[in-house]
Amino acid sequence: MAINLRRSEAVIREKRLRSVVGYQGTVKDLANKAQSGCLKNAQRGFSQAINCSSGCAQGHLSTILDAAIVNHAPIGCAADVAGANSGFKWGQNIRNWEKRNVRIINTNMTEGATVFGGGKLLREGIREAYRRFNPKAIFVTTSCASGIIGDDVESILKEEEEDLGIPVVPVFCEGFRSQIWATGFDAAFHALLTRIVKPPEKKRPELVNVINFTASAREYVKEIFEKLGLVPQFGIPYSTIDQISRMSEAGATISICGTLGGYMGNGLEQKFGVPYVTALQPHGISGIDNWLRSLGKVLGKEKEVEEYIAEQKILTEPELDEIKSKLKGKRVVVGMGPSFSHNYIRLLEDFGMEVVWGLAWHFDSKHDHGGLPHCTMELAKKERDIPVSVSDQQNHEVLNLLNKLKPDIYIGRHPGLSVWATKMGIPTIMISDEYSAFGYKGTIDFGYRIIDALTNNSLARNLSKRIKLPYTDWWFEQEPFEFLMDEELNKNAASS
Amino acid sequence: MRQVAIYGKGGIGKSTTTQNLTVGLGEKGKKVMIVGCDPKADSTRLILGGLAQRSVLDTIREEGEEVDLENILKTGVFGIRCVESGGPEPGVGCAGRGIITSINMLEELGAYTEDLDYVFYDVLGDVVCGGFAMPIREGKAQEIYIVASGEMMALYAANNICKGIQKYAISGGTRLGGIICNSRKVDGEKELLEAFAKELGSQLIYFVPRDNVVQRAEINKKTVIDFDPSHAQADVYRGLATAVDENDMFVIPKPMRQERLEEILMEHGILDI
Repeated sequence: MAINLRRSEAVIREKRLRSVVGYQGTVKDLANKAQSGCLKNAQRGFSQAINCSSGCAQGHLSTILDAAIVNHAPIGCAADVAGANSGFKWGQNIRNWEKRNVRIINTNMTEGATVFGGGKLLREGIREAYRRFNPKAIFVTTSCASGIIGDDVESILKEEEEDLGIPVVPVFCEGFRSQIWATGFDAAFHALLTRIVKPPEKKRPELVNVINFTASAREYVKEIFEKLGLVPQFGIPYSTIDQISRMSEAGATISICGTLGGYMGNGLEQKFGVPYVTALQPHGISGIDNWLRSLGKVLGKEKEVEEYIAEQKILTEPELDEIKSKLKGKRVVVGMGPSFSHNYIRLLEDFGMEVVWGLAWHFDSKHDHGGLPHCTMELAKKERDIPVSVSDQQNHEVLNLLNKLKPDIYIGRHPGLSVWATKMGIPTIMISDEYSAFGYKGTIDFGYRIIDALTNNSLARNLSKRIKLPYTDWWFEQEPFEFLMDEELNKNAASS
Repeated sequence: MRQVAIYGKGGIGKSTTTQNLTVGLGEKGKKVMIVGCDPKADSTRLILGGLAQRSVLDTIREEGEEVDLENILKTGVFGIRCVESGGPEPGVGCAGRGIITSINMLEELGAYTEDLDYVFYDVLGDVVCGGFAMPIREGKAQEIYIVASGEMMALYAANNICKGIQKYAISGGTRLGGIICNSRKVDGEKELLEAFAKELGSQLIYFVPRDNVVQRAEINKKTVIDFDPSHAQADVYRGLATAVDENDMFVIPKPMRQERLEEILMEHGILDI
């Protein structure tokens, strides 16, 4: 299904990509079911915590340097602004910028607004955002409350836009629409694709849109791209509205993360003919090779890419060998978003480690280009069938699993879970930087980081001695997926 | 205190019937309060002699949450207390949530006094969302009457309302007290309504014949008993008031499938030509 850019709201992942949040099995079975269209979401009889997709939508948009966000919602919906703000400050910190807060205003919908309509509050919020921040664009993120009462957000925004003379763009991300928080990224990109990105004035074939989060490794990416005769343009965070509006001029789009970049990449390809490079993520050696080769193929830089890869292989071989010899046979559990998880599993297996379990916070049966995610396809080809599960960060499942598997190390990407592995006495690495393990240099660095974490495990050891876990012995005696209902139970639940 | 909710298809005459019925009760010396649950706020016009009242929601909108009961509760003929929930302007906000907000407000303000014999909720045409079911939730109306006529769509709506009642009857203890026929003079109307009510497991509690005096009274902003106490139609409403007051048949309705509803209509609703 092509992305529908004529509608004002993005189709949710459950429908567009047949995404699920409940599954347990193996990667071959997962890939097989996804490819044959048989993958069904297994519901949970108990769910500990899930996230709202609006967080991804407004978190991502609030990092645009000259934009403001109006969150049309009860004040509680603004709770995730704290997370967005700390992420935004980290990105400013690594750029040595003077730090400021994200520019988000919440309209504070109360009971009265849900009865009489929130139109007045919304207009006030937009005016206030314009007055305080003088933005180049205002994004209005919607909520369950505004969605249920049917506030006519589009008409109000249209009128305000005419008055203010800047784009005032709706971002439809009502929490009840999707169980998958990454749907919020799509909502954000949909708003950009439909309202901010303009047709190209001139084409710049050397320019590559790099869709990422914080872009910590800008210099390293520039260095590599320079050797290929290419120039990266990082986004969406820390870009300006003007830069984003000219993303249509680029020669190609590539992403650091398949879950993040698919909607924007495919949308740019569909609407403006900018090819989207679908590839493995550039983490680990096979990842960066595939990432660069795929990019080279699209932009006619195959020769340069092969030269770069050959040179890097010679340079890094001794260190890679050393890392592999130290990590061989170490047992690891991986817990990340779907694209990161399935890419990191490959990278860790390439190190000679044994991935005893791979957790993904959701799973897309396909990506917007049409096929099974490359990283999953690649894992399914391997001889060993890796046990995997899909859960929206259900800590009870993960802690139970870790308690049974007792891996040598846990590698995650989100603090809410990584800290618990540490408390269980399992050495843990949390990859908050999306450029960890990027390219040859990053892969070597990451290898050493794992060795260090395994060697110096006193934090986990000492912490675990002093911590009482919040779960009872009873729970740890149960199967980890006790509350994940099988297909038969699902059918019954659906019909009742 | 008996709390009663009146439902029925839009335009069937719920407000007219409710006001004429409550005046009948008032005349008997019963203490009654009407809570209008329609955003149009026209459920108490005949008791108060015009749209003389500010709705709960208008008051909240204009004056905030600090509302005095005396500003929203007015007393009309036979001491009947009148409250209008009101609602947002058409096409904006959420009228259903508005009803929840205003009933909560009435409870907080102590509108439900011990001396009341009856509280009547006059609810918008159909139970379209949770808000319009508020009057029949736990602790609110325990009896429901549906106003219907022999017209197909009125019966369809009544059957649909019974689905909503069934749900709340099981969880909250509310019961269907009967069907009130507000006649449209269609073929075999009384028999049809009797058969329909029986199929639901309920009763046709009263048949209100059509009479133009109702219309004339309405134009004069009055109920029939108030407008022309000696008119035969006034006795009809007195009879309805007695029927409700003495009613002892309260059931969990058994809503029927569309096919069965159509069968009943074919059976009773068409006279031989």
